[in-house]
Amino acid sequence: MVAALRSIRVRRGLVGLLALLALYGLAAQIASGRLPTRVSLAKHDIEGVELLPTYSSLVEEGVFLVQAGILLEGAAVSTGRVLAGLLLGSVVGIVLGLAMGWAAGLEYALDPWVVLLRFTPALALLPLYVLWFGLGEAAKVGLIATAVAVVTLQGAYQGVRGIPGVYWDAAAALAAPRSLVLRRIVLPSALPQILASLRIAIALGWVTVIAAELIKPSMPSLGYLLALAGAYPRVPTIVIALATIALLVLVSDGLTLAAYRWVTRWMRRRHA
Amino acid sequence: MHKNQPRKVRLQVDDVAYVYEGGTRTHALEGLTLAVHDNEFLAVVGPVGCGKTTFLRIVAGFLTPTRGTVLCDGSPVRAPGAERGYVFQEDAVFPWMSVQDNLEFGLRAKGAAPAERAAVAAELIRLIGLQGYERAYPGELSAGMSKMVEVARVLATDPSILLMDEPFGSLDAQTRGQMQDELHRLWEKRLKTVVLVTHDVDEAICLADRVLVFSPRPGRVKAEVAVPLPRPRPLELRLSPEFSAIKRRIWAELGLAEAS
Repeated sequence: MVAALRSIRVRRGLVGLLALLALYGLAAQIASGRLPTRVSLAKHDIEGVELLPTYSSLVEEGVFLVQAGILLEGAAVSTGRVLAGLLLGSVVGIVLGLAMGWAAGLEYALDPWVVLLRFTPALALLPLYVLWFGLGEAAKVGLIATAVAVVTLQGAYQGVRGIPGVYWDAAAALAAPRSLVLRRIVLPSALPQILASLRIAIALGWVTVIAAELIKPSMPSLGYLLALAGAYPRVPTIVIALATIALLVLVSDGLTLAAYRWVTRWMRRRHA
Repeated sequence: MHKNQPRKVRLQVDDVAYVYEGGTRTHALEGLTLAVHDNEFLAVVGPVGCGKTTFLRIVAGFLTPTRGTVLCDGSPVRAPGAERGYVFQEDAVFPWMSVQDNLEFGLRAKGAAPAERAAVAAELIRLIGLQGYERAYPGELSAGMSKMVEVARVLATDPSILLMDEPFGSLDAQTRGQMQDELHRLWEKRLKTVVLVTHDVDEAICLADRVLVFSPRPGRVKAEVAVPLPRPRPLELRLSPEFSAIKRRIWAELGLAEAS
């Protein structure tokens, strides 16, 4: 943490973030009492809506959400779903992507499906998954896993295709068996691209979970919290739920970035 | 000199032709016949596109000839094999592996025990003078040292023939000279049969016992020039009349000079 603060990029990022937070606070204070408090939702007019909540109402709302066991439990449940979908989807995606990159026959057989899935947003599969897997966890996790699998498959496939021919030839000339080529040539050289795709997949996983949690919604979950807060409407809850999701995405992205930097350490050690 | 014993044939290439299929059919090689003897250093020179690299890739087993046969130690070549070590034109050390892991890779492929791998790698590290760099990544080495790691990696599995495709082509002139000396020293120590493909005539004369000149495409052996210069061959040798005479003969065969 202290080491991270020494990095100029981290410091600049923090300054930018703090400046934005200050601007928001200022805007909310100025808007307080000046913005309309009546909104029209469908046929009803609703009074007393705080469109741009001040920090004090955000803190008040946050304390309530935490004490009522809504926010943290929701974050835990949603994170669990993202992780389950991420694990399932990345295993399937990476294995298929490596296989497609390695075996041309498989590439031709699977490529039309991959293209089809790549241009279909995973969320469009929601009604189908509900019918196939029911209203429980399976459809939610399955939807996230699908989104993750399509992206990581691309990453693993491109990773293998990007291995220069000379490395394959060198391994062949040294009579390396296939298992050794997989472990010591294919995996390490495709790993940077796999991890890069995993970063995109994680962000996509969070997008997908919010929508997937509208399948037979139940508390605790961040997706349903957002939907409920929108229906009430309670803007402070929306802002807090969004901030929580942003924080979780930031943390998971940071962890993947750290993993990426670790597996690509050989790229940065240049000749002194 | 160690080249006087009765000469066993290591590599026999008979009437080999190679045609690249595709949009336009390209006859890269036609009627190529040659033999490489045990412990011989053979260099192949020729104009750009004469099929030198194609010839070497066929011997390595990366390409299957359209016609003809290639025998290595009496058995036909059908696929790449560790008995034919290959040093590439490009940078072929694995950049994600340490120097040590690169050197051990061939033995790992053979299923050698860790102790044996470590012993061979340690010996090769000494041989190329890279003590202290075992855990370094290739990216931390100079281009020349990285090339020597590649050569050493091939030597680790003790191949019966070493195939080198313009190994120093991408290095600057000064480094190339150093690497040629280094390779010469390695060859004297380890006594390998070597086939070196190069466009650098000086390099061929400095290193080889015999130089084959390939014709323009389709490539075949146009001329054979013996290099009866004593070894070791220091840099100054390139200024001697004997060296110049050999160079003139090769240049004449390449169409770069009048035959004297």
